[in-house]
Amino acid sequence: MEEEEGGKVRVLIETATISTEPDVDPRLLKAIKSVVRYSDSELRLAARILMDLMKREHSQVRYLTLLIIDELFMRSKLFRTLVVENLDQLLTLSVGFRIHSSLPPPANVATALRKKAIEFLEKWNSSFGVHYKQIRLGFDYLKNTLKYQFPNLQETATRLQQERRERERKTKKILLKKFEILEKNFASIKEEIQSTVDEIGECLEIVRPKEEGVPFCPLDEEDMEEFHSYEFRQLRLQALEEGEKLHENSENKVVFDALRELYKILVKHLTAVQEWILVLVKVELTDNRSRDSYLKEFIDIRNNIQSVKKKCEESGCNLSNIAKHEEEDFWEEGKIETTEGGNFSLPNNRTGGLAVTSTSKEVQGSIPKCHDKESDANKGRSHEGGGSNSDPLRSKLLAEAPEVNWSNHLASWGSKMDVLANHRGLELESHWGRVDQDAVIPAEKIAELNLQATVYKEKQVEIQPCRAPLSNGKVCPRRDLRICPFHGPVIPRDDEGKPLNQNPPKDEKAPDLGTDLVEQLTKQAVQNVREKDKELARKREIDKKALKRAKLAKIREHNEAVLRDSAIASTSKSAFIGEDWEPSTSRNPSFRNKKKTLASMLQKKETPKDRLARRILNTRASAATVRQLTLGEDANYREAFPNQW
Amino acid sequence: MWRQIGDREAGKLRPNSFLNRIKSTRIQTLQLSNHKDIISPHRGSVNTLQLDLTEGRYLLSGASDASAAVFDVQRGTDYGRGGAITRHKCLFAVDKQHEHGHKYAVSSAVWYPVDTGLFVTGSYDHHINVWDTNTTQVVMDFKMPGKVYRTAMSPLATSHMLIAAGTEDVQVRLCDIASGAFAHTLSGHRDGVMTVEWSTSSEWVLLTGGCDGAIRFWDIRRAGCFRVLDQSQSQLGRRPPILERSATIKGSTVKPSSPSQSTSAKARAPQRKLSNGSGAKHSLIGKSPVKGSMKQRLHPGMLSSQDRATAHYGAVTGLKVTEDGMYLLSAGSDSRLRLWDVESGCNTLVNFETVRMQTSRPIQLATSQNSELVFVPCMTAVKAFDMWSGKTSLKFRGHYEHVNCCWFSSQDQELYTGGNDRQILVWSPPRLVSNEDEGPSKDEDNWSD
Repeated sequence: MEEEEGGKVRVLIETATISTEPDVDPRLLKAIKSVVRYSDSELRLAARILMDLMKREHSQVRYLTLLIIDELFMRSKLFRTLVVENLDQLLTLSVGFRIHSSLPPPANVATALRKKAIEFLEKWNSSFGVHYKQIRLGFDYLKNTLKYQFPNLQETATRLQQERRERERKTKKILLKKFEILEKNFASIKEEIQSTVDEIGECLEIVRPKEEGVPFCPLDEEDMEEFHSYEFRQLRLQALEEGEKLHENSENKVVFDALRELYKILVKHLTAVQEWILVLVKVELTDNRSRDSYLKEFIDIRNNIQSVKKKCEESGCNLSNIAKHEEEDFWEEGKIETTEGGNFSLPNNRTGGLAVTSTSKEVQGSIPKCHDKESDANKGRSHEGGGSNSDPLRSKLLAEAPEVNWSNHLASWGSKMDVLANHRGLELESHWGRVDQDAVIPAEKIAELNLQATVYKEKQVEIQPCRAPLSNGKVCPRRDLRICPFHGPVIPRDDEGKPLNQNPPKDEKAPDLGTDLVEQLTKQAVQNVREKDKELARKREIDKKALKRAKLAKIREHNEAVLRDSAIASTSKSAFIGEDWEPSTSRNPSFRNKKKTLASMLQKKETPKDRLARRILNTRASAATVRQLTLGEDANYREAFPNQW
Repeated sequence: MWRQIGDREAGKLRPNSFLNRIKSTRIQTLQLSNHKDIISPHRGSVNTLQLDLTEGRYLLSGASDASAAVFDVQRGTDYGRGGAITRHKCLFAVDKQHEHGHKYAVSSAVWYPVDTGLFVTGSYDHHINVWDTNTTQVVMDFKMPGKVYRTAMSPLATSHMLIAAGTEDVQVRLCDIASGAFAHTLSGHRDGVMTVEWSTSSEWVLLTGGCDGAIRFWDIRRAGCFRVLDQSQSQLGRRPPILERSATIKGSTVKPSSPSQSTSAKARAPQRKLSNGSGAKHSLIGKSPVKGSMKQRLHPGMLSSQDRATAHYGAVTGLKVTEDGMYLLSAGSDSRLRLWDVESGCNTLVNFETVRMQTSRPIQLATSQNSELVFVPCMTAVKAFDMWSGKTSLKFRGHYEHVNCCWFSSQDQELYTGGNDRQILVWSPPRLVSNEDEGPSKDEDNWSD
């Protein structure tokens, strides 16, 4: 009975530790726990098996074993006592601090193992260190003698907590202080705000009846305002439209300035008040009554300010002015932006190096157009021009105008005049011959000389990444023109790296170019026909392939059968071999892969360097190189001494 | 346990055997003590440990960082983790910062055997310091010709106060605390002396083990060594067989016939004139019946073959005389442990189970009460062997690096070990009354599912 059960935990543990996953299968773990929980002998056996597994020369196995050990360690006292006896061995095998017994191969897993082991040791020490001297010793040794860095989880957590508490305390203190200040200054603040509000009201009163001449009641009576707000607003808008320019230059400018100032102050007050309200909401006091009263008052004040502000804004004049100022600022900034925009637009805007032509169509055709640049330039021009926006012809021409790089020829753009050769009045002293002051270079010649050469610039094409799905969940970032060396031809793929259906986009490229509807339709028709053809062809091909595959499979099967038969005939272990054959052929390949991976983890990954080395350092290649070299030497020699053979 | 107490109560068990039984059962349950922590102040490997011989309370340790420290093993200085653990911090430590402290590793530290007022440290800086415990000042300083490997003071001495020092030098020197000078220089070893040990049966007999593999016995009252142990000379069983012994007595007393004996007798003649205390010595060692054969072997100008005899291949790294002084345990760099009969000088051929021991530095062995067990540092573990069968009976694993020394306190049945990992560990029998109120969190099963 016990043997049987013993087998159970052994099988469970062994199956749990031969996976290549970074975690133990939770179901298996649960099973192990439940088996071990009810039987001490099972637990002892498990401890022994786990210690044996820790000795395996494979970090992955050790890693998984360590995870299981931790699970049991945190739960069972008996397991703890068993493990603790050999803790130094366990640590040697999991941390690998001894030089002569470092961790076994898969290096990345080994580092994970070490990290985990150290983490576990810290955990064990904090929870069971009191009861087990060995744990304390091991921890102390790794920490103080070997100076391993422990993650110090607990300590960091407590430290963070403490810091947070400290911060909270500080903020509370600050809030309290603020509250005290507020208590002291409340009256003055209130007064100040009230005075500002009053002044604004006065200013508005001064301004309003004069400029608008609307026979409305004074504005500071709020109920009236609300009552008539709609009509009032309408009227105000109208008034604004016709009368804006009027108060810009009117004699009541002083009042407006004051109003603007006051408005600014008011805005400041508003933010201050809002801050105070926040403080009041946040502050924690033993006595909440005073706070509540303050809060109420502040809310009242805020509402008051807001209403006054609204009034100001609705009165319009001052706000619009401010807004205009701001707009000017923005405009300034915008100009800077456009100048910084691109390399080409800089000379265009600033130096005026861009020549705008509306006539020469040839140039327009030859120079590649760049839409965004053009529009950029347009923007700049429109800003510069200001009022010229209204000229429709000009803007149209501008839209059409090509861009030409700046050069000398722009100076004589479109001129059909001959140029005087010596028009600068040079005295050619040492020239003995006759100097013709009127020598003329004909216009054709000039044109010829000024012929502008444009260098063909390749359009910057962004090479699409391969985007084939990788094992780590990302997509392949390689950028190859057509074929990725790892994943074959580059094809459009979605975010997960699944290939999109390749055909439609390929075909749809064509109609993009065409602008004519008829053309498009005909193309479509042609396409449809072609697609059908293609589909047919594909189907045929698939059929053919399937046939071929079937044939190949048949051949392979036959081969295997023959091999098996021969094996059976030749050896006495034939049955065994035959059984070995069976799964490899009949079972799904994933099973085989899985079995292999644990061993394959140990194998070194093939790097490009290896591949190159294999290619370059193989005997044939090196022999060829040697041969080539000797040939070269031979040739040299023969050249040097042609008379010898 | 309770039955034994009942027997003792009823008088069925004699007090002595009761005591011994209790002690041996306690020794058998030695384990790493969870409730006693010695906080080691050392920053180098602990080379030597000794509990004081008068009270069995103060543990003296010497370490490679040139420091020595004293701990009170009975009373802790503070309590950790909810009172479950008693911490023993050192009462004081002397290190390089001390004005007369050692410069290099302290290889040996021993208590003055009479009281705890003095202790002696030997160091690789060629000095032996004698310290006053209370003032922690150096009261005496001996300059040695080489690195000091081991110092020893006789626990029985009543008529001398000599510190025996084994050094790199071939000569063993005896430093006299009373006069502050070298009293003797014992020459005979052909290489440095790794270990020295005073006999526990005679205050004048000194045993030394050298790097040349020889174990020599010296009587400090006379020149030269009187015995070199030879590993090829062996006897079966604890004692030499009676028959053979009687035969040799007969042979030596009746007719000294063989030529070798005659030559030795000749050579012995001038020696006898010089030494007058041989008779006294014999009585001290307690072998008056075999006087004749003894004399033959006592010959100082021994045959060269005898003089060249080795006890181990390689160096002798550790020596320990049993409590009763009848047997000597030696450890060598050949990773062997040998048990010698002091009286006959024969290897008793006890086969201690294969062990691996440190080969390059002296190790300190310990024996238990009544010579039942011998504690031997074997690389990172300490093993307890049965003295007479050589079987491993206990294994103490706790150190993370090599163990250099151990000391057994027969009073408390506790074992102290010190190693290269700078730790001093206490191994003690489990507490009879396990304190269940173990601090904040109990140690118990915690199954979540």
